[in-house]
Amino acid sequence: MAILKVEGLGKTYKDLRALDDVSFEFEKGILSILGPSGCGKTTLLRCVAGLEVPEEGSIYIDEKVQTGISQGIFVPPYSREIGFVFQNYALWPHMTVYSNVAFGLKLRKLQEGEVKKKVLSALDLVGLQRLEGRYPSQLSGGQQQRVALARSVVMEPRLILLDEPLSNLDAKLREEMRVELKKLIRKVGISAVYVTHDQEEAFVISDTVIVMDRGRILQYATPDEIYNQPANQFVASFIGRSALVDGKLVTVDAENCLVAIPEFDNASLVGAAPKGGAAGDPCKVVLRTAEIKLSSKRFEQKDNVLEGHMLSRDYRGGLTDHRIQVGSKEIVVTSHKLCPMISIDEDGGKIFLHIDRSAISVIVERRPPAP
Amino acid sequence: MSGNWKFIKLAYRQGVLIPLFSSSVAGLLIITPILVVLFRSFTTARLGVSVGVSIENYLRVFTDPQILPMISNSIVYAAGSAILGTGLGAMLAWIVARTNTPGKALVELMPLYPILMPPIMKNIAWILLLAPRAGILNSFLRESLGIQEQVFNAFSLSAMIWVFGLACVPLGYLFLLPVFLSFDPSLEESAYIAGSKPMHTMLRITFPLAIPAFLSAFVLNFLRGLRSFETPVLQGSPAGIDVFVSKVYDSMSVEYNPGLATAYSSILVFMSIVTLLFYVRATRFSERYATITGKGYRVKVIDIGKWKYVTFLAVFAYFLVGIAIPFLVLIVVSLIPYYDYETFTKFPANIDISNYYRVMHHPSFVSGLYNSLTLSLTIAVVTVLAGIVMAFTIYRTKVYGGKVFEFIGTMPLAFPPLVLSLGLIIVIIGTPLYNTLWALGVGLFVAYFPYALRNASGSIVNIHKELDEAAWVHGARWRHVFFKVTLPLLKPSVAGALFYIFIEAIRNIDVAVLLVAPGNEYGPVTLFEYFRVGQWAEAAAGGVIYLIILISAVSVAKLVFHIKFSL
Repeated sequence: MAILKVEGLGKTYKDLRALDDVSFEFEKGILSILGPSGCGKTTLLRCVAGLEVPEEGSIYIDEKVQTGISQGIFVPPYSREIGFVFQNYALWPHMTVYSNVAFGLKLRKLQEGEVKKKVLSALDLVGLQRLEGRYPSQLSGGQQQRVALARSVVMEPRLILLDEPLSNLDAKLREEMRVELKKLIRKVGISAVYVTHDQEEAFVISDTVIVMDRGRILQYATPDEIYNQPANQFVASFIGRSALVDGKLVTVDAENCLVAIPEFDNASLVGAAPKGGAAGDPCKVVLRTAEIKLSSKRFEQKDNVLEGHMLSRDYRGGLTDHRIQVGSKEIVVTSHKLCPMISIDEDGGKIFLHIDRSAISVIVERRPPAP
Repeated sequence: MSGNWKFIKLAYRQGVLIPLFSSSVAGLLIITPILVVLFRSFTTARLGVSVGVSIENYLRVFTDPQILPMISNSIVYAAGSAILGTGLGAMLAWIVARTNTPGKALVELMPLYPILMPPIMKNIAWILLLAPRAGILNSFLRESLGIQEQVFNAFSLSAMIWVFGLACVPLGYLFLLPVFLSFDPSLEESAYIAGSKPMHTMLRITFPLAIPAFLSAFVLNFLRGLRSFETPVLQGSPAGIDVFVSKVYDSMSVEYNPGLATAYSSILVFMSIVTLLFYVRATRFSERYATITGKGYRVKVIDIGKWKYVTFLAVFAYFLVGIAIPFLVLIVVSLIPYYDYETFTKFPANIDISNYYRVMHHPSFVSGLYNSLTLSLTIAVVTVLAGIVMAFTIYRTKVYGGKVFEFIGTMPLAFPPLVLSLGLIIVIIGTPLYNTLWALGVGLFVAYFPYALRNASGSIVNIHKELDEAAWVHGARWRHVFFKVTLPLLKPSVAGALFYIFIEAIRNIDVAVLLVAPGNEYGPVTLFEYFRVGQWAEAAAGGVIYLIILISAVSVAKLVFHIKFSL
């Protein structure tokens, strides 16, 4: 039983295709929709909420149709029984915290006593006891964020939609809040759809992730699968720090494959076998640079070792960026501490790179059939 | 058709049918008199008689030998007052914002006081002062200094420009003050560093950057000049100086020829539209200049040395001619038995309140006063609410054709109020509405709607859309969104618009003058009639009564409701 089902959703703004045949099913838990700005993720969320009307397609919440363009069905947002946390929280500035949270309950004509009980327990849940008399302008960003969440949770919705809820907070608070947010959503036990452009945030918070670009779904999988087996070049480069090079499949078996990389002076690397593709096919090779090991001496292993020249080092505090020339390609390897033994001047800055099999993804892009 | 039905169903489900309907009603009220004016200018018949299409009215207008002087009078009068008013206003704004003139705190609000004085009061005061033979100044010159020539003439183009120009000062001041106050100081500082001295910097940097705002204020004042009613009719017509507004009025009040009146109106409307287009251009131009970034700059006050006494005198002189003298003249004249120079000079030995007694026992003034109070209150509330509903429809519901509403709602700006009421008369003649207060109410509604709409649109656009949407998804229908979220958030600006429209409507003459009828008097129009038949002292007394009402209304607004006023 899927809490949310989307079928063939399409919407165009002027000449921008915001949603292009978007379909997916979401069982339960927390789903993130991840993508760069303008990829259609917010439009998708607003369509689910009923704030936008798509041009085609249908949306089902809890197996009941909410938007059905071909049938002419549109359930207005106030009847969808959902929660929505806006990017800028959208707390009503003329109402106290209490009135903000109680707003929807009062519209449901609940008794005053019951409203009070529910509001206070929701504020308790998000850790805002005794702040119910304040106005939103008297709260910090993090507190406003919690009020917005309490306002949604208190309605006991079937589904909570969150539109980049942490993007207005500063970096440190954001990291704290995303863990807390996840705990909270789990605690109330309501399924949530979470829109963000921050890959780390999506991975921390959600059970499954949808990666979108230009109005299309590129990959729908668990965070682990998306990181280790990106479906295509875009997903690979959008997720984490990585270097992308062209390659050619040399051999492929059930588990492994060997790719030759012209840009690295035709060095060859061993990686997990790609989906589809046979020996001789061109492919893309994604190297997750954070997982590359550096050494000024030769590694004991023979496989997956490259040789390069250190061009420069940029010290960033806890991290250091190493710019390394491998073959005709410059790649940036970020290590967690400065490697003391490597000096640029010595030996022409010669350096060895060991790339573990798990740090490599090989992607064979299915080309559209020739016309 | 099924597509339409689906659209309507969708609109209903989105909850926008009711705002859409209300806005359409308001739009219809506005557009009808406007279309009728244009249509009737091409017809022959008199009111109530069946009509035939003809261009006879236009022939008569364009073959009138007076047409060219009329055009030039209109333009000279409007442009002259706009230059005088905007220039003075800009100068005062600069003095207040940028110089170390002493007593600035006192001066700061001074340019705004004249807003309180109903326009007709200014005309009456200045006619009393400048009238050719009996006027106070000419009499003074004759009696005390023996100068026989009549130096001043209230019934001349220059006197018209003087009086209306003074009325244009507040707008110029309000437009320019924010420019001088929130000017980015680094623009001037970089000129200093380049070697420019303070005065030179003023002339080369500060003033040029204020030009766009100056232009906007000038064009708006010019438009007000084209539309103005009291000054041309009271000061122009007696001397045969006709402008289009007074000609429209004469066509109705003397000849009762609506066809001719609408033909004159069309030319006036054409000139107004051209001016409005200029205004749109001017404001766009000023956006491009964008010197004001909204950051709270601390503006540097410039020490102008000895000149500060000169600027102080300038402000004081403005206070005298713009506020104090007309005000005192009115009060004195209202307190003497009747006006002539000799009686005037005997003041205060001959104080007497018989004028007030007579005015307050004159049935048409008393009922007019009552009508103007109740009607302007009602109209202020209705207009502001309708403005908010329409702005809500345009910006907050996904209705196609929101632009059309915006266009219709702004249209009355291009139509002088006198022309709007002319159109209204033609529509309602023969209906039960004719000669009722309802007609007057509709007229005032149409005339002030653009202000209400502009005010509401400006504020609604500033309220984050998510605040509405948050209410939607948490179970609110449009009426909940409107009454619980939009309206409370709009409260501060709503209150301002409410008072502004109340103050404007209660002293309105140019909408009411054609729509009043025996039994349906309107206070300001009654005063206007008094003055036209020579009962100057009674008119002054009535004016003072209105002034007291307005000042108390504004004081209440300021002290009790903490309302800020702006145009």
